[in-house]
Amino acid sequence: MGTFNRVLDHLEEWLVASFMALATVVIFTSVLYRYTADIAWVWNYTRHINLTWAQELCIYLFIWMAKFGAAYGVRTGIHVGVDVLVRLLAPPKRRFWVTFDLLAGAFFTGVIAILGGMFVWRMVGTGQVSPDLELPMWVVYLAVPLGSSLMCYRFLQVAWRFRRTGELPAHSHAHVEGMQTETRA
Amino acid sequence: MNGWIIFILLIVLMLTGMPISIALGLTVLTFLAFMTDLPAELVSQRLFTGLDQFAIMAIPFFILAGTFLTHGGVARRMIRFATALVGHFHGGLAMAGVFACALFAAVSGSSPATVVAIGTILIPAMEKQGYPRKFGVGAIGTAGALGILIPPSIVMVIYSVSTNTSVGKLFIAGVVPGILLAAILMGITWVIARRRDYPRMQRASLKEIWSAFWDAIWGLLLIVVVIGGIYGGVFTPTEAAAVSAVYAFVIAVFVYRDLKLSDVPKVLLASANMSAMLLYIITNAILFSFLLTSENIPQAMAQWIIDKHLSVWMFLLGVNILLLIAGNFMEPSSIVLLLAPILFPVAVKLGVDPIHFGIIMTINMEVGLIHPPVGLNLYVASGIAKMGLTETTVAFAPWIVIMVLYLLLVTYVPQIATWLPNLVYARPG
Repeated sequence: MGTFNRVLDHLEEWLVASFMALATVVIFTSVLYRYTADIAWVWNYTRHINLTWAQELCIYLFIWMAKFGAAYGVRTGIHVGVDVLVRLLAPPKRRFWVTFDLLAGAFFTGVIAILGGMFVWRMVGTGQVSPDLELPMWVVYLAVPLGSSLMCYRFLQVAWRFRRTGELPAHSHAHVEGMQTETRA
Repeated sequence: MNGWIIFILLIVLMLTGMPISIALGLTVLTFLAFMTDLPAELVSQRLFTGLDQFAIMAIPFFILAGTFLTHGGVARRMIRFATALVGHFHGGLAMAGVFACALFAAVSGSSPATVVAIGTILIPAMEKQGYPRKFGVGAIGTAGALGILIPPSIVMVIYSVSTNTSVGKLFIAGVVPGILLAAILMGITWVIARRRDYPRMQRASLKEIWSAFWDAIWGLLLIVVVIGGIYGGVFTPTEAAAVSAVYAFVIAVFVYRDLKLSDVPKVLLASANMSAMLLYIITNAILFSFLLTSENIPQAMAQWIIDKHLSVWMFLLGVNILLLIAGNFMEPSSIVLLLAPILFPVAVKLGVDPIHFGIIMTINMEVGLIHPPVGLNLYVASGIAKMGLTETTVAFAPWIVIMVLYLLLVTYVPQIATWLPNLVYARPG
């Protein structure tokens, strides 16, 4: 189980970061392409390249990034809610509500994973493809059930750890990755 | 009837402390399961198609650009440039701090990021020069809120997505109120500094100003690239965001070298984390507003308010109060996503300019950012200054009053927001 989780963690992080980088490169390239079209010698090399699919690819990459990133976010504690009331409660009651919230998250994402799975299953039969890239739509939509399942798993994982250790992941907005100065709140 | 059930359910779920996105999603699910014959599978499709808009993608790009820019180099040079220009006034360093926040806000779309970038350097520096820590924290934390008013702005992108207004117009509408607010904050800083005799710095020579300007040129150029690029029609806001992300990467890693290439994956991951959280709320909020619309709730509310013969100024006052209250519970993007689809139709029916309304909401969000219990600027500033939350709140208090007054000014003098966009886009509306 430990190895499985470690591999899953890495895969998740790697996927999310790569989608982000890839989407940026795609859009940057397409802008560059459009503005170098006026330069004759560049155009000679690039005229046969067709980049009309760039926007579509960017959107799909970001949707995938968003679905898996949301699961990663559960692990980093970035999904916040209105916790003013819960903070006022005595520890045992608070413990109950925090667990309730995490399980509610697991429930919602679980339901979405199933609904999404049914939807994708139906899409397979239709043979629909995306307008520019002509990818099968069911492959594109797979982000919903896959991401949501992972997110459900993360909610359960965080709930399990919370029950055992009483610790919750917390995200600090004052902390910037790789920044030299120590600013952690 | 159904409308009340939806809202009460949402509020109850939110008050249990669950993530706002989950509360929104569960409300929609419950409603679909028990109260309507809309197919439940619509949800999973909407969860995908809701995000299927190129305009939304500006958000992750601006976040990525912001994360690259926060790594010191650009901010430090902007501070040096600002100090060279205004450092010789009373409270020069504090004024330079406000000025630098405004400059940084013009390349970053987030307020907390602006506080981190400028505050990390300036709050300790001000203390060293003899300013009370409270003053530095309040001034920089408040000026950091300019991040979402001066374009680019993530909050404005979200407003434009949920109300179908033009991002470009909103951005340009933020310029005048942003500069005006920066000027007001600097003016107040100067007055306080004069009265309390805060330190002045030596007047910088023209040569020093020039060299500081050249040193900061890469950051300043980005302002031209983003704003100029969008208005010149060179690219769409989303493309501008992607270009600024690449530009920020090149500056941080190769020009100013304050970020190691090996740190880039971490930056990507951190930006993806933040973006995914926002996009997740956005998808669920789109789902929720789809539910509201299919139940005709915004229309019914608009009709109800119109039947009450509310005047525009009363309505706007009510909106401001509602938003200020919401600012006690949620962070800006959630508030805009939840309330803009409901309030916007009413505002339009009453004849409020959509762009003006967007600016009012944005300034409201700035106020929410600087007061407890959820104001992020407050938390960030207290983290940087290692100051307790109560003390930080006291430090922010006078600034909150100023911000609320400014909010009223912009609410009732719409020309501050609409003059420039109407000029640039010639035809109003």
